[in-house]
Amino acid sequence: MAVAWIGNRETLVERAAAHAAALLGSSRCPVFSLDTDIHGTRAAIALAERVGAAYDHADGAAVSREAALFTDKGAMTVAPGEARRRADVVVVVGELPQIHHQFVGELSATVPDLSTPDLSARNQREIFLIGSNEMSAPRLSNGRIATILSCGEASLGATLAALRAQWRGRQTSRPVSNFDDFAKALEAAHFPVFLFSGDATEGLALEMLQGLVTDLNRKSRASGLHLSASENGWGSALASTWMTGFPLRTGFARGFPEFDPWRNDVARMIAAGEADLHLRISSSIVQPQKKRNRMALIALAKTHEPVAGAAVTIAIGEAGVDHQAVVYSSRTGSLRSVDARAASELPSAATVIRLVASHVSAEAALPC
Amino acid sequence: MLTKIAGGDIIDPVNGRLGKGDLWISDDKIVAAPAGGAAERTIDAAGCIVMAGAIDIHSHIGGGNVNTARLLLPEQHAAHQARPATTPLSNAGWSTFQTGCLYARMGFTTVVEPAMSPGAALHTHLELADIPIIDKATLAILGNDDFLLSMIRDDASSQMIEDYVAWTVASTRALGVKVINAGAAAAFKENVRTFSLDDVVPSYGVSSRKIVKTLQAAVDSLGVPHPLHVHCNNLGSPGSADTAAATIAAAEGLPLHLAHLQFYGYGTEGKRRFSSAAARLAELVNATPEVTIDIGQVMFGQTVTVSSDVMRQFSARGSAQPKKSVIHDGDGNGGGIVPYSYGKDFYGTMQWAIGLELFLLIDDPWRVFFTTDHPNGAPFTVYPALFELLMTREARTEMIAGLSPSAMALSTLAAIDREYTFEEIAIMTRAAPARLLGLTDRGHLGAGATADIAVYRRDQNIAKMLGQAAYVFKDGDLVVQDGEITHYRWGKALRLNPSPDKAMLRRLEDYHQQRYGLSLDWFDFPDTAIAREQPFGEVACRT
Repeated sequence: MAVAWIGNRETLVERAAAHAAALLGSSRCPVFSLDTDIHGTRAAIALAERVGAAYDHADGAAVSREAALFTDKGAMTVAPGEARRRADVVVVVGELPQIHHQFVGELSATVPDLSTPDLSARNQREIFLIGSNEMSAPRLSNGRIATILSCGEASLGATLAALRAQWRGRQTSRPVSNFDDFAKALEAAHFPVFLFSGDATEGLALEMLQGLVTDLNRKSRASGLHLSASENGWGSALASTWMTGFPLRTGFARGFPEFDPWRNDVARMIAAGEADLHLRISSSIVQPQKKRNRMALIALAKTHEPVAGAAVTIAIGEAGVDHQAVVYSSRTGSLRSVDARAASELPSAATVIRLVASHVSAEAALPC
Repeated sequence: MLTKIAGGDIIDPVNGRLGKGDLWISDDKIVAAPAGGAAERTIDAAGCIVMAGAIDIHSHIGGGNVNTARLLLPEQHAAHQARPATTPLSNAGWSTFQTGCLYARMGFTTVVEPAMSPGAALHTHLELADIPIIDKATLAILGNDDFLLSMIRDDASSQMIEDYVAWTVASTRALGVKVINAGAAAAFKENVRTFSLDDVVPSYGVSSRKIVKTLQAAVDSLGVPHPLHVHCNNLGSPGSADTAAATIAAAEGLPLHLAHLQFYGYGTEGKRRFSSAAARLAELVNATPEVTIDIGQVMFGQTVTVSSDVMRQFSARGSAQPKKSVIHDGDGNGGGIVPYSYGKDFYGTMQWAIGLELFLLIDDPWRVFFTTDHPNGAPFTVYPALFELLMTREARTEMIAGLSPSAMALSTLAAIDREYTFEEIAIMTRAAPARLLGLTDRGHLGAGATADIAVYRRDQNIAKMLGQAAYVFKDGDLVVQDGEITHYRWGKALRLNPSPDKAMLRRLEDYHQQRYGLSLDWFDFPDTAIAREQPFGEVACRT
């Protein structure tokens, strides 16, 4: 099975890696977009340091919004296991990515076993949904429906602001639906938990949510459960933070890491024509991109054929499927080791990136 | 390769070797002088002192909370001092890579991350594996986790509790056990806001004292070399000296280590009701031989407090500088990240002075350990300046002149003449930490020891001398020369490996399935997950 191509021509992985290294070495402004596991990320950042690249998640906007909550504001958060065992009121904030719907269903099907809260006669958690889009809400168990907290067509941020204001006893121009039920539930709650993601929630809304959580903690307990927009994305953000001190959207253009979430927004750099070389690392199939002038593409992807328009394509395996991997898990809120579900001979992203790096001239050893 | 470090002043308190001489290395071990052997490499150590590589027993260098602190403060990396030039990731901020380089330049070769959440063990070890040059180790946190509190509540046998502690240590690849504000994080989840040694955790009916005593006994019985590492209740509160005193009394003949005692050295005298209780605590430590302590020295400037004492960090949020923080309710402890700047005002001066008083008033350098509780009291990069304060009274006097007179009026520091000798420094930062952690292969320069060696060129300026080692060897590799990294290598994480009890494994599997809806393997990992050759080094339990 062919696993590497230069253009449309099959070649040895070693030659493809050397060609990729040559392209990286001659690039004026290389950019990396990542959708990979922890070791793939570590290898990519080490390569980025060596070639002066900027790097980001493949769908960087949502992960960047989540990182910005921490870099700009801070947060009160809770571990998912603790949320499962302690939350007597669950509040879904806006739309959650599909990958988290199963966990919400699990919360609706179970009851907390710690701190023995009074769940009234129904013996189930109270579940609310902030926002107006019921269609995208996670499915609850036993046909239950979450109580909607909305302000008509108002944005999620505006709804959260109104909710926070009403909770503090202030006037709002428009009341939040079912607020009295919400207030009653909070008054009785031991540990309400707000489930949030940066996927469809803007930064100011995330901040407003944290403001509400802070308000609740003046007299009682509450917290937020971060359900990341992308597990690979958040894992990469964590690895980037320990390796460089900074989350994603960091670049080495000047030889040292600089964190600038606007300047190093890789999608923006590509759209603006700043980047002349794009290394895309994704174990999923890479969709053909609109050809941009002067920008070459190196694609590391799980593929049986060369990626359209790519100068170099190298096939890689999928983390946790083709090879053992370490990934971020929203279910545990930490990193997790996963075995290969269907082990194959496809190399990991980390292996291929290190091979490319071995062809890039450098004065010093790679840091990882 | 046979190496001779020639003509240095050797300071090896363990082996009673003090004075000029040669030190021989063969590959990764220190060896006796070979009869007629010719060195393949000779290091001229004339005018230098030669000590074992230093060991830091309490420095928050990796793991979930440390990484969250990095994430919270991208603008603060400049506070973490100079970067070595022309090295990979050399200009990185507060990164794993920089951590190893900066420690090695000072002659430190082993550092303990003292607060590893068991649920984040893989994350912690991955970070530690990316710290170059030095060896690392971790202490696993217990004492706020439902499984242990439930067992204590239900009067589980001491054997069952030991089995659980052994499983935790083994599965997390830890070198010891730490308890952090025992019971308080669990109580905080039930909206309790203050918690003392004899307070009881709601829903469990178990006191903080009971948790500490249970873990102390389990650690001792299992033969874990390092005594239970205790972060007491009421950290940072005026009057916390009473809590520390009660905890010292609770040792009751079994070994107990109290972390960052400076943060408990606070009395309630004076018009601000904040005073030094250092002399009282030092006297108690001196009189209680089973107790060891580290200091957690405060130095002035910007830092960030990183602690799994989530209750204390929540209460400190108001003093965040800059004004942002993270508070996390974890499966056990969780943690809090609160940036803070120690100023030379009354309170900052008092904290600074209390730490130094403890250093200087505790008589036995085998029982007091050199830490800033990095980064809580200060980044570890201030160590050279702190050595100077301990070793020269003149440096202290100069410093005091620029500090709060009203604070100094309530401190005995200015009247203390003691100056640490190099031999005492070698005990406090090498020999004693190795003994406390059960690391028989290091902390000394005897034949057979691991060749972790720091060579410092003598200089009147102590901070300069101890801040940039002339030579550092790690496992026999020359890694630092004239304060610059000359060779990169990857150290190991030192761990214990007690055999887990099969019945406990089954019990834990059931517990995780029932309570978390997940099998136990979600929380475990193979060594291969670290993706380095030999990521761990095994240390034996006491028999």
